[in-house]
Amino acid sequence: MSSTSRARLGEEVWKLRTDKINAELVTLTYGSVVAQLCKDLDGDYAEVNKQLDKMGYNIGLRLIEDFLAKSNMQQKCANFRDTADVLSKVGFKMFLNITPTIANWSSDNKQFSLLFDENPLADFVELPDDGKAQSELWYSNMLCGVIRGALEMVQMSVDAHFVSDVLRGNDTTEMRINLIRYIEDEMPQDDE
Amino acid sequence: MNVSGWFEAVASCSSATTNSRSQALSLHPAASHRENLTSSSFKPPTPRPGHLPNMVVYAVLILNKAGGLIYQRDFNPGLQKLSSNDYLILAGTFHGVHAITSQISPTNETSSSGLEVLESENFVMRCFQTLTGTKFLIFAEPRQQNLDVVVRRVYELYADYVMKNPFYQIEMPIRSEGFDRHLNSYIKPHQ
Amino acid sequence: MNRDPSPFRTASTASTATSPTPKYANLTASTNLRYSLTRKSIYDRHLNRTKTSELSKSAFAFLFGEMVQYAQKKVYGVQDLEKKLNLHGYAVGQRFLELLLWRDGRTAKRETRILGILQFISHQLYRAIFQKQADTLEKVRENEDEYMISDNDPVVNTYISVPKEMSQLNCGAFIAGIIEAVLDGHCFPAKVTAHTAPNELWPGRTVFLIKFEPEVLEREALRVGS
Repeated sequence: MSSTSRARLGEEVWKLRTDKINAELVTLTYGSVVAQLCKDLDGDYAEVNKQLDKMGYNIGLRLIEDFLAKSNMQQKCANFRDTADVLSKVGFKMFLNITPTIANWSSDNKQFSLLFDENPLADFVELPDDGKAQSELWYSNMLCGVIRGALEMVQMSVDAHFVSDVLRGNDTTEMRINLIRYIEDEMPQDDE
Repeated sequence: MNVSGWFEAVASCSSATTNSRSQALSLHPAASHRENLTSSSFKPPTPRPGHLPNMVVYAVLILNKAGGLIYQRDFNPGLQKLSSNDYLILAGTFHGVHAITSQISPTNETSSSGLEVLESENFVMRCFQTLTGTKFLIFAEPRQQNLDVVVRRVYELYADYVMKNPFYQIEMPIRSEGFDRHLNSYIKPHQ
Repeated sequence: MNRDPSPFRTASTASTATSPTPKYANLTASTNLRYSLTRKSIYDRHLNRTKTSELSKSAFAFLFGEMVQYAQKKVYGVQDLEKKLNLHGYAVGQRFLELLLWRDGRTAKRETRILGILQFISHQLYRAIFQKQADTLEKVRENEDEYMISDNDPVVNTYISVPKEMSQLNCGAFIAGIIEAVLDGHCFPAKVTAHTAPNELWPGRTVFLIKFEPEVLEREALRVGS
């Protein structure tokens, strides 16, 4: 499947097979979750990042089924470059109606960046002016967890983390995704 | 019907290159006809184009990644009920057979989709394994053709009413009133 | 400028719709925040930019589900869980109200009567958030201070099946929180709770019970009297 037909697939799934909801409801609800964590964890932003990642991971484990069911993808990606393409053009498209740009591939094709021109989670957001948040909090960190959880369910162990965010005053919002390994298919244990 | 009887059934095993895969990456033909069960304009689903008008689905089973039976439900009379223990054995046995048949392939590089269809005098069973390893087994009247459509729709309902339910723990048995209800209203009208 | 609905503004400092707007909204003078030089900050982006934007209902369902699961870890019972969801909704409702009234601009109206504010909620607010109106708005006959808004199929509950042992729970408490925030914002303090009230056609039908504080009724009585 070529990159353009993936883009078309993403469009089609978004247009025809996706029930929609007011974007601001999602944005504000996400904000409420992050703000609650900041309160619960007493402004320990490193912990907030961790918790957001963990929540995202839990979502990813479930969301992958919705992704597969609605996109009707039945074949594994041939390589990690394909995975990146599907992630951006179909995955992000069908859930958040954005297609982050894929860039900065490492020479071994195991690491790439997603550049977010738009980030619906962060509309309306300004980080707390406490001298800490802008250097410690990754506001959209849940997305990293979602990707990690979803790819793990299709036998890819990855690390995902933000390296820059316009909310921190950076010029870009960039997430780095790193393929750690493919998880081998395992025979059922009771089969030995 | 007992478990050993299963192996008298005709097993058809398709490799990754057969017809069933050729359309794998195109959108589902029924996509544009999908009923919107979730919006406020809820109405009982009507049979959609592509369905045999008198299709009878007997039962749906769902197996988790480890081959554990997490869902079993009968929709139409036609098959005797097995004991719950037999269902568990059936699930585990099928899981094992599926894993082995997935290795039967012309070359080392390509793997097979594994056992996809079982037929007997009394029923046909269609298995669909998702890329995550979850299996959906649909039992229907023999010689039913469009079970692919049914199985895809069941997968969608599973994604909606099981995966999005915060009270469901993944890999565990499914107790979801919403899933039961929607599955029922999807499958029953096809009698 | 002061009307940013940022999630980090706390409830106590959030200006409600009817409280006077602070005269000076000088955010930049005292801030230590860094802004990208090449990117527009939230102050440069038009607040109507996302007015008609849509995201997938799935994305919301997964987020909401995870919110419920997280809240569930730290509670002692159904009531406690509903309280947490209510608070999340409250935070969302405060911000939605500001957006709505800002968007209404000069035509924004300050509702001063109970019926007016309830209609605002079941029509304008509901349509803005859920793209539909609430299904019914009723007065509870036996209790002077209670009203009910019903929703046949609350968006937040579409995919949720509450387990039997928690049958009292209705995650619509989140929407109850939104309603409560909007009432508070208009100086109609009330408690709002969500209750499952299924009928044959709508197994997920939910009733939001609104119980006003006594002062609201006192004020209403004065207005009727005059």
